[in-house]
Amino acid sequence: MTDDRDKLIAEAVEKALKGDMDAINGIEDRVTRSKAKAALHKAKKAAKAAELTSADASESDAVENQTETISTNQKIASIIDGEFPGSVVAQEGESEECIYIQSKFWEKVASFLRNNAVLDFDSLQCVTGMDMGEGILEVRYNFHSMKLRHSIEIRISTPIENPHIYSIEQIWRIGDWFEREVYDMFGILFTGHRNLKRMLLPDDWEGFPLRKDYETPQSYHGIAVPKVKEEWE
Amino acid sequence: MGVLEHKFQDNIVVEKLDKLLGWARSTSPWYFQFGLACCAIEMMATAASRHDLERIGMMPRSSPRQADIMIVAGTVTMKMALRVKKLYEQMAEPKYVIAMGSCATSGGPYWQHGYHVLKGVDLIVPVDVYVPGCPPRPEALIEGLLKLQEKIQTDRPLTKIDS
Repeated sequence: MTDDRDKLIAEAVEKALKGDMDAINGIEDRVTRSKAKAALHKAKKAAKAAELTSADASESDAVENQTETISTNQKIASIIDGEFPGSVVAQEGESEECIYIQSKFWEKVASFLRNNAVLDFDSLQCVTGMDMGEGILEVRYNFHSMKLRHSIEIRISTPIENPHIYSIEQIWRIGDWFEREVYDMFGILFTGHRNLKRMLLPDDWEGFPLRKDYETPQSYHGIAVPKVKEEWE
Repeated sequence: MGVLEHKFQDNIVVEKLDKLLGWARSTSPWYFQFGLACCAIEMMATAASRHDLERIGMMPRSSPRQADIMIVAGTVTMKMALRVKKLYEQMAEPKYVIAMGSCATSGGPYWQHGYHVLKGVDLIVPVDVYVPGCPPRPEALIEGLLKLQEKIQTDRPLTKIDS
């Protein structure tokens, strides 16, 4: 029974590959018909893959294969470094995942990322703050180009005693709230931001809660913040 | 009630009047329509047609001035705590509070490390009924509301309180 069915499917798929779909559509048993369709799909896919690999082998040369292994981040890092020498901080190991930028170059690099036709990053997707410990705060930006369909991650570090980073709020308007949120949680001051105030916490809150050295306040407007109902445990 | 509240000696007329007032208050407690977190979704489900709060005489009011019950449905952050207190103060007497869910009861999942969460709404306003759950099902909220109705019925608004 199964042999018969396999044979039937194989024949139908062969016919269908030559353009005769009726061979499959004409199968009366529903299960067999769907199996035949799946087999046809698989066969077409395999044929396509074979075509591609043969084309690759004939056309591409060794140099092109090498460029493919370089990540978008590395490629764009070299473009930025070419435009602003010394702006990219060399990092070992992580250079494929992100680009470290000197914070004093950030103002120029940001508008370069936005306006350069080769880069054309029209979308700022996320701004993340981080407390790296040892007195270092870091801001991470994720950029995406809708037109060119590439994306990068930029990282900028700043000392915790004097955390100043140039604001990109007027280059990407979405950065307005992103930066306010990072300011709210980490206290990073974005130079040039037109409305840098707390986003989630109340305006009179003290301290920046996502910093590692943050300590929970004992009370807020006379209301006790720590757990006070000891007898409930 | 104002001038009449707790002014009368306990006697048969006052007792009957008290019962009448308690019945009237308990059978149409309008609740304040505001929710803070996921509990608010359950509160909406409770008010919607399947569970239908209007069959026990409850309907949502959008102003604290018109509401009798405040259902604190959800996590009360420190920022919101001041506003919850203000809204409670804006409600007209008699007023009742239900703490719905573990967040409003005790801070819920934020009870230890939530630097920004109020550890129970009873720290700022007096709570009449606690409804446990995270979030409570509509049945649980209805149970809490029925308990509150019982409580309202036992109130003696006119009788003088011995001090």
